[in-house]
Amino acid sequence: MATRLNAEALAAERTRPEWTRVPERGSVTLARFMLWLVHGIGWWPGHLLLYPIAGYFLLASPRPRAAARAYLARALGRRPGLRDLYRLYFTFASTILDRAFLVSGRAERYRVEVHGLEALQAQIAEGRGCLIFGAHLGSFEALRLVADRGCPVELAIMMHEANAARLKAVFDAVGGTARTAAVIPLGTAESMLRAQECLQRNGLVGLLADRAPRAERVLEVPFLGQPAPLPTGPHLLAAVLGAPVMLAFGIWRGPRHYEVRFEPFAEPLPPSRAGREAAIAERVRRYAERLEALCREHPYNWFNFYDFWRRDAT
Amino acid sequence: MSSGASVPELAAPSPASPQQEAELAKLIVSVLSLEVVPEDIQPEAPLFNQGLGLDSIDALEIALAVSKTYDVKLRSDDERNHRIFASLRSLAAHIEKHRTR
Repeated sequence: MATRLNAEALAAERTRPEWTRVPERGSVTLARFMLWLVHGIGWWPGHLLLYPIAGYFLLASPRPRAAARAYLARALGRRPGLRDLYRLYFTFASTILDRAFLVSGRAERYRVEVHGLEALQAQIAEGRGCLIFGAHLGSFEALRLVADRGCPVELAIMMHEANAARLKAVFDAVGGTARTAAVIPLGTAESMLRAQECLQRNGLVGLLADRAPRAERVLEVPFLGQPAPLPTGPHLLAAVLGAPVMLAFGIWRGPRHYEVRFEPFAEPLPPSRAGREAAIAERVRRYAERLEALCREHPYNWFNFYDFWRRDAT
Repeated sequence: MSSGASVPELAAPSPASPQQEAELAKLIVSVLSLEVVPEDIQPEAPLFNQGLGLDSIDALEIALAVSKTYDVKLRSDDERNHRIFASLRSLAAHIEKHRTR
C-alpha cells in the first residue's frame, strides 16, 4: 500500500504545476539540515547560518527570484531592490528554521502575540468544528504555538500529498506520531472524509487556501492589482461540509517572534445548492482581499516563489 | 470452501444489480451536477483522477449522499476505501452489501 501510494505520488509529481516543485523541495532539504541544528547546535548558530543560506538561495535560483521580484513590486508599490529580495528570502528561511523548532516542541523561547483568540474560542464553543484557512504567508506552523498552549480541541492540517510525504519524514524524525497523525494528506478519496470526521469531533482543520493544485477549480479574482487564479476548492469544501470558516496567519515579526491572527471569515452555508456558486465566488474574492491587505502590511511574509498570476501561461 | 476464512473480509463483494448501478450513477450525476448522462458512466471505469476525473471533494459529496440515501457510512479509516471508490461497480457493490434501506 505504502509503495503504491509513493509510486502514484511520483507519477503525479511529473505532471504537477510549478509550485509543487519549487521551493518546497529545497525547503525540505533545508528542514532536514535544520533538524540537525535543533539537536546538534541549537537556535542561535542556526539563526546565524540563515544569513549566508538566504543569500545562497537568492543567488542560486533565478526563476523564483524573478517571481519574488514581481510580487514585491506589487506589494511594495515600487521597484524592489536587492535588499527587499534578501529580506523576503531571509524571512522565508527564518520560518523554516522555526518550523524545525516548533515541530519538535521546543518553543519555550518564542514570543507570540495572539489576536482574535476570543473569536476562535467562541467558534470552538459552538461545538461544530471549524475550518481554518491560511496562506503561504508567514508560518502556518506557528499556529501550533497556540495549539500547544492549551487548545482544547484537536488540530489537523491538510497538506498536498507529495509535500506531506516529504515533510512527514521530517515530522517523524522530531515530532513523533502525534504530529504525523495531525497531517491529512490531500488528494486521496478519503482526505475529505478525514476532515469531515475531525470536524464532527469539534476539531479544527487547517489548510492553505492560496494555491490551486488543479487548474479546474480556480477563479480569477483581483489580487494586488491584477487578477490571479485562486482555488475555489477550500470554499467548496466548507460549503459541502456546512462548516464555519476562520482565517489564521502566523506572521513572522522578527527572530523567534510571531504574531498569530485569527479572524472570523464565514458562517456555514445552507445545505441547499442554490446560490452556492455565487457564495463561493464571493468568498474567494473576499479571501483574496484579506490576503492582499496582509501582503501590503507584511510584504516580506509572502512565500509563493512562483508566477502566482500565471502571466506565463497561455 | 472454508479454507479462506479471512479472505471474504477483504474480497470484493459480489456485484450489485445493473438497476442498482444505474440508480447510483444517477445519484452521482445529480449530486455533482455532472455534465454527462448517467448511462454514460462506465461501471468499471475509474471514478477518480482518470476516467470520470473526480477529486476528493467529489468523493466527500458522494460519501455524504450515499450516507443520506442508503444509510451506508463511508469512513476514512476503512482500508478498503481504495477498492470501494475505484469504480461505479465497486461502490454499488459496497452499498448493496451494507445498505439498511
